[in-house]
Amino acid sequence: MTRLTLTFLLASSVAASPLMAAPANTVDRQTAEYRKQWHSDILTGYQNLATQGQTLANQAAGYCQAPSPEGFEQTKQAWLEAFLAWQEVRFVDFGPVEQGNRAWQFQFWPDPKNLVARKASYLLKDEAQITPEKVSESGVAVQGFPMAEYLLYDQAFANGEEALPAGRSCKLLVAVTRHIADNGQSLANDWQGFQSNYLGSDQYTDTTIRSAMAGLEILEERRLATPMGLRGNGKRSVYSADAWRSGASLAAMGASVQGIKQSFLPAFSKLLTDRKQSDLAEHIAQQFDEVLANFPEVDRPMAPLLADDNGYKLLQSLYIDLTQLTSLVNDRAAVELGVVRGFNSSDGD
Amino acid sequence: MTELTRRSLIKSVLAGSAAITLSGCTLLARKAGGQSPQQYTGAIGLPDNRFAVGAIAPDGKMLWQSPVGARCHSGCNRPNTAQVVFFERRPGWAFYVFNSESGDRLHRIEAAEGEHFVGHGVFSPDGRFLYAPANRYEPGEGIIAVYDSQRGYQRANTFELNGIGPHQITMHPDGQTLIVGLGGIRTHPDYDRIKLNLPTMKPALVMMDRLSGEVLARLQPSHHQLSTRHVDVAPEGTVYAGYQYQGPAHELPPLVARYRNGRYEEIDFGETVHRELGNYIASIVAHPENDLVAIASPIGGTALLFNGHSGEIVAKAAIPDCAGVEALAGGDFLVSSGRGKLVRMGKGKPAEEIAGMPVQWDHHLV
Repeated sequence: MTRLTLTFLLASSVAASPLMAAPANTVDRQTAEYRKQWHSDILTGYQNLATQGQTLANQAAGYCQAPSPEGFEQTKQAWLEAFLAWQEVRFVDFGPVEQGNRAWQFQFWPDPKNLVARKASYLLKDEAQITPEKVSESGVAVQGFPMAEYLLYDQAFANGEEALPAGRSCKLLVAVTRHIADNGQSLANDWQGFQSNYLGSDQYTDTTIRSAMAGLEILEERRLATPMGLRGNGKRSVYSADAWRSGASLAAMGASVQGIKQSFLPAFSKLLTDRKQSDLAEHIAQQFDEVLANFPEVDRPMAPLLADDNGYKLLQSLYIDLTQLTSLVNDRAAVELGVVRGFNSSDGD
Repeated sequence: MTELTRRSLIKSVLAGSAAITLSGCTLLARKAGGQSPQQYTGAIGLPDNRFAVGAIAPDGKMLWQSPVGARCHSGCNRPNTAQVVFFERRPGWAFYVFNSESGDRLHRIEAAEGEHFVGHGVFSPDGRFLYAPANRYEPGEGIIAVYDSQRGYQRANTFELNGIGPHQITMHPDGQTLIVGLGGIRTHPDYDRIKLNLPTMKPALVMMDRLSGEVLARLQPSHHQLSTRHVDVAPEGTVYAGYQYQGPAHELPPLVARYRNGRYEEIDFGETVHRELGNYIASIVAHPENDLVAIASPIGGTALLFNGHSGEIVAKAAIPDCAGVEALAGGDFLVSSGRGKLVRMGKGKPAEEIAGMPVQWDHHLV
């Protein structure tokens, strides 16, 4: 009996053949169909990011030309909408978003050393002009949503002398939001240009599945379990979450789940169904809805939820639904498809 | 709450269990190479983000497991002693010295101010000096930090690599030449593991005199984004380097280079194999008893053996998350995976899983 079990284990683990082990120089037509849909669905997400980024940049420029409390609120709203548009496509970790560390440019996170605040303080005190070039050469902590969020939402900053609409702060906000808008536009363009390579290379099927798996794992582990105190030192801390300044951590999680559902799930369900896994495909689709059913109730700042036991229950409920989704995609479906994300494969050494 | 409880229960059971699945007749074979002890030491990931360094005996038994504060990557045995050194994973703020028989921790040596280790090191043949590639991270300069084990691992010297991002180091059989994989990628600990200079990388295979620190040779790959990360050398002096390609996944360049008789050549396995390797090699090991070389790719979930002279592939297996490779006495190799598997591979035989353990083996076994 033991021997049989071992033989089985051996066969299943050593022989599991990844999807990308396709025959030489032939592009599997069917997997190209999945990629065609993924390419189109992700393009929709990127174009939305480009549009929202543009709106944010225009809004910020308008506000800084003629500051008003309403303009300030509208700029915050534009920031949130562009940030959520980014969350929807944040799981895509391959292709043009890798060029020039674009993903990091959009969102430098985690930031345990609070580089965003340190860099802002340095740039605002510096004598040099704040220009688009200055932003381009100042590193990823300056170039994206967290920097704009700092300027728009940070409480200590809002109470200080440099608070918006102070001149240098406004210049920085305008330059950073312009940088976000330009990045969004070039990402959408480059993704279109990437189409033939993406459709023509079978290994991007695996890559795309892995990117969604990684996106879900980051959601569960780093974006939710860690601030909830379920990992690391066991302490609840909103500062481990992203977007804590704007209180948008949970809204961002909802947008990321929604984005994976919109841009990844359709072709993935088809792939699973074609591989005689239609029950699993349906189960996964239902679990996406289970996770999203936590919203909009849980769509509120995370800090008070962490501080209050009743509030914490909302987070637990979201966490449980998310772990089940992650487990369905990253364990069950991954095993069925032979697509593995591991301790070493996601390491980079 | 039920699901939470169930999950934590499963996790704690996994953590507490030292059970090893081993089929009765396939015990681990002896490790090749006369000097190294008959055990395998590796960095381990445990449930709940805890980390250890552990050693297993040739019969597959976990000999010891010593907890460490951060995830470690690789290390080296100190010749003529019962000491093994392990480095924290990049950015490594310390290395640990263990008694390789008991697992007792003898030292924890912190990186010098402004420097971090990168996960690898090698000893001088007499076991006195430890050569550790390191990153002087503000200016982004790669160095070899030299430590004197006879003086409690005090810093003894620093050699400049005149390049960025050193990774693995090994000792040439001449006992004098250090072989260094210079990955070429600039990172900074403030910026997580972000690659800061992909357009301007200058990776190289570097030969360095271990006494003077003089760079004797600097061999560059055919593309500037072929990060030259892992290295090994055969007893007769042929050097092998394994690359990690930083360009797009649909481009499939060569991933292995060989340097012998003053010639640096890349070995092209063909696009199908490069695709199976996911443009990424985590370990490269030349067998000391024959002309076989093993490589493992966790990204591609593929390990293969090739003939060092001809470049011909003689064995290939799909092993999810495989990364560590060790040579076994008799001519085979042992491949470890992030899923706790140990798989034996040899020429002309199917890959054989010989153990599965509830741990995650990090990249390298020593």
